[in-house]
Amino acid sequence: MSTVTLILLIVILVAAAADMFFVYSRDLMMLQQNSYRNERYLRWFNQSKESTSMVRLFCMVAFFVMALGRVPAILTYPVVLLILVWQAVSLATRKYKKPLVRTPRVNRIFVVMTLISAVVVLFMWLFAGMRGAAAIMIALLWISPLVLLGANILLRPVEKNINRKYYDDAASILASMPQLKVIGITGSYGKTSTKHYLHRILSEHFSTTMTPGSFNTTLGVVRTVREHLKPYDEVFIVEMGAKQPGDIKEIADLVHPRAAIITAVGEQHLETFKTVENVQKTKFELVDALPADGFAVLNNDFPYVASRKVGNVEAVRYAVSNPEGADYRAEEIRYTSRGTTFKITGGDLAAPLELHTALVGECNVSNLLGAVIVALRLGVPADKIRYAVSQIEQVEHRLSVKRVPGGLTIIDDAFNSNPSGSKMAVEVLGMMKDEGKRIVITPGMIELGDRQVEANREFGRHIAANADVAIIVGHYNRDAILGGIADGGMASENVIAVDSFAQAQQELHKIARAGDIVLYENDLPDTFK
Amino acid sequence: MKTNIGVFFGGRSTEHEISVISANQAINAIDKSKYDVTPVYVSKEGLWFTGDALLNLRNYRDMKAIEKMAEEVYMRPVHGDCNLYYQKPKGMFGKKEIAAKLDVVIPVFHGANGEDGTFQGILQAIDIPFAGCDTLSSANGMDKITMKMILRENDIPVVDYVWFTDRQWFADRDNLVSRIEEKIGYPVIVKPANLGSSIGIGCAHNREELFEKVDDAGRYASRIIVEHMVEQLQEINCSILGDCDDYQASVLEEPIKTKEILSYTDKYMGGSKGTEGMQASQKKIPADLPEDMTKEIQRLAGETFRVLSCHGVSRVDVIIDRATGKIYVNEINTIPGSLSFYLWEATGISFPALMDRLVALAVKRKTREGQKTTSFSQNIFALGGGTKGGVKGAKGVKA
Repeated sequence: MSTVTLILLIVILVAAAADMFFVYSRDLMMLQQNSYRNERYLRWFNQSKESTSMVRLFCMVAFFVMALGRVPAILTYPVVLLILVWQAVSLATRKYKKPLVRTPRVNRIFVVMTLISAVVVLFMWLFAGMRGAAAIMIALLWISPLVLLGANILLRPVEKNINRKYYDDAASILASMPQLKVIGITGSYGKTSTKHYLHRILSEHFSTTMTPGSFNTTLGVVRTVREHLKPYDEVFIVEMGAKQPGDIKEIADLVHPRAAIITAVGEQHLETFKTVENVQKTKFELVDALPADGFAVLNNDFPYVASRKVGNVEAVRYAVSNPEGADYRAEEIRYTSRGTTFKITGGDLAAPLELHTALVGECNVSNLLGAVIVALRLGVPADKIRYAVSQIEQVEHRLSVKRVPGGLTIIDDAFNSNPSGSKMAVEVLGMMKDEGKRIVITPGMIELGDRQVEANREFGRHIAANADVAIIVGHYNRDAILGGIADGGMASENVIAVDSFAQAQQELHKIARAGDIVLYENDLPDTFK
Repeated sequence: MKTNIGVFFGGRSTEHEISVISANQAINAIDKSKYDVTPVYVSKEGLWFTGDALLNLRNYRDMKAIEKMAEEVYMRPVHGDCNLYYQKPKGMFGKKEIAAKLDVVIPVFHGANGEDGTFQGILQAIDIPFAGCDTLSSANGMDKITMKMILRENDIPVVDYVWFTDRQWFADRDNLVSRIEEKIGYPVIVKPANLGSSIGIGCAHNREELFEKVDDAGRYASRIIVEHMVEQLQEINCSILGDCDDYQASVLEEPIKTKEILSYTDKYMGGSKGTEGMQASQKKIPADLPEDMTKEIQRLAGETFRVLSCHGVSRVDVIIDRATGKIYVNEINTIPGSLSFYLWEATGISFPALMDRLVALAVKRKTREGQKTTSFSQNIFALGGGTKGGVKGAKGVKA
């Protein structure tokens, strides 16, 4: 080997190591966003551009070329080096919407990935020298997901052990607080909003803690108990999320809820649940876990909640649009520019409970109704409930309305959307037709299983009926939504298709004027382009 | 998981020893089946200590010795950091840094540096739930001048007064004297504005005495208040428990005095059992007053508490002018001696229940504060607007 090729080879080794750092970090980021679950990661990988990316293809080719050694090194090495450096630089400077969070777990996986790589590279060095080592490093870049998933599997017993210790600690903390009233909230949609509203209302009368943000998994609840729950707390509100059957039972077995709210059973996460019946069964794991002297508060507006019989505990049913068979109802709902007023009737109420709120949308009336029922049952006085409801601030990204400097009204519904939620958001936009141009920016909805195309098409039709301009982001649902918009008769010059959210913002700045209203419906992280 | 109450006492004030007594009484009264207690003693030099030795009153005979029997500790004035740290980490390799994690703090200081808002400021910076007046109400309640200004503004009767600083007196004495003689008239009481327990206080029946007493007061404080002195005086105290939205008044007490006004010796050294302090000075509980006067005093005490935005347990001291029957609010003690437990026992609330209430009030205030929006994410340095070159100043930048 000549000196030039030797130098090039050494530089390639260094560049490949640097590139590995960025590639592994990028892969780890995607694993993190898929909840460290290998199956979810693989599903994402197969659907994304990753599996057929040019760089990966190049790495595969480069590996074989270098391994076989047929093509002269002086030709291949510079090209390989160029590509490695280019990829490292481009990954290092890319700005991700939801970047990698370097938690202790992430660091553990990274260390194992590095160890696996080091062992493999050393092995090749012994058998095939520097050239073999460089070739295998490039191979590792090609098959980096395998290294990632392999490390994840190897670490499973370690993670299980760590989690077990934390779980037991949380369980013993809860056991030391027998007076604590635990309330579980679950549902296909509305659970986070309902949790916030319930927390604000109960805080008027009790010292209350809730699981924060999106800590709705067992580990999230364990962390909340260990880090946020206070010894003087009287109420603990636990939001319970489910990605597969058994998830909710697992949380309920830890926290032993006394009361529950089921906000909805609908079409979400259908690619893991497969059918709505499975969703129903999973959500009701929470009700099944209640003690005989507890109570369950159920949203009868959803047929899969209304039809589900409950025998183990008292069932208190509420409804806004389908009052038949419900114990509590919301009536005389009026939307104004200052918010919503409505009355709650039924149950033990001697007189209708009048409420005023800054929130908009029928789903929020429904969420408030569920929360108020629990508050009444726990003995919060009516005037405190009224005051608390009037003070509830809109939850960011969940159908919140705000006026920004420049005269635009923003309706922010950026969080995980669903067919009925997005329909309602668009209808709220529709009601504002006298104020200015109504603009929708959306990538459509995800995780709808085999209903994906039809649901997004329907969404397109709703957009056509309620908006003046539509900006559709990304390719995932583009065809379906554009089809629906065309069905609905919106003129094509009012429809703009863009590749990214940043581009959508640019288009918006071109057309927006003071007085216009912009709806951001379902904003997705980088896992989905 | 039990709530850990940090009881802080001692401090750099003239009422240091009284505070040690009050705190120990309070600690004994706390229901240990419901709460853990961490005592924190602040020495006269301002160092903080914790340890079981602090709970034995005999150990305080030698202030230096008690510091050796306890561990020095500190808290970081960092938002949300409720840990009490050892000054010298204990254990093998110095791994044990944290002495305790406090959930709620009950300050039991009397006088300067503990009752005037300085300590409360630290607690608010850390944002740990605590019982008792916050910085604002502590400062206003401690300073006799601001207290009277606020009460007067809210139509709560106070005696006429004139206030000034020591340097003002030096520069403008004749004017001030005329104002005092015209507005108030002798006899007057001269007091430093913000010290407790009768230090530097004197009565003046004529100009000579006025000069003398003001000079004396000036040795202890820069702010001085000269008040009309009620000669046929009856002192009545009333404790208030709660917060400014929801409070209740205790039964009234009449402290019995030996001289013209209760002196330091009266208050703290009365009776033969010297170290027992407060309990030895004589009181009449409940005070012997007609029903309507009792109600009026309780009402005025409650109003005082509310208007000053107080919290926890305070004691309002009023004066009845026997000659005219008029009632004046004299002062408020935002951390009263022995936390006025004897008044509350007489009202039907036991000492342990009183401590329970203080903890609940602390938690309630923290919850209420948490409901208000306090963060505004607006980084003016990151805003794009403005003209070429430089930031015009916050008002000039458009969002």
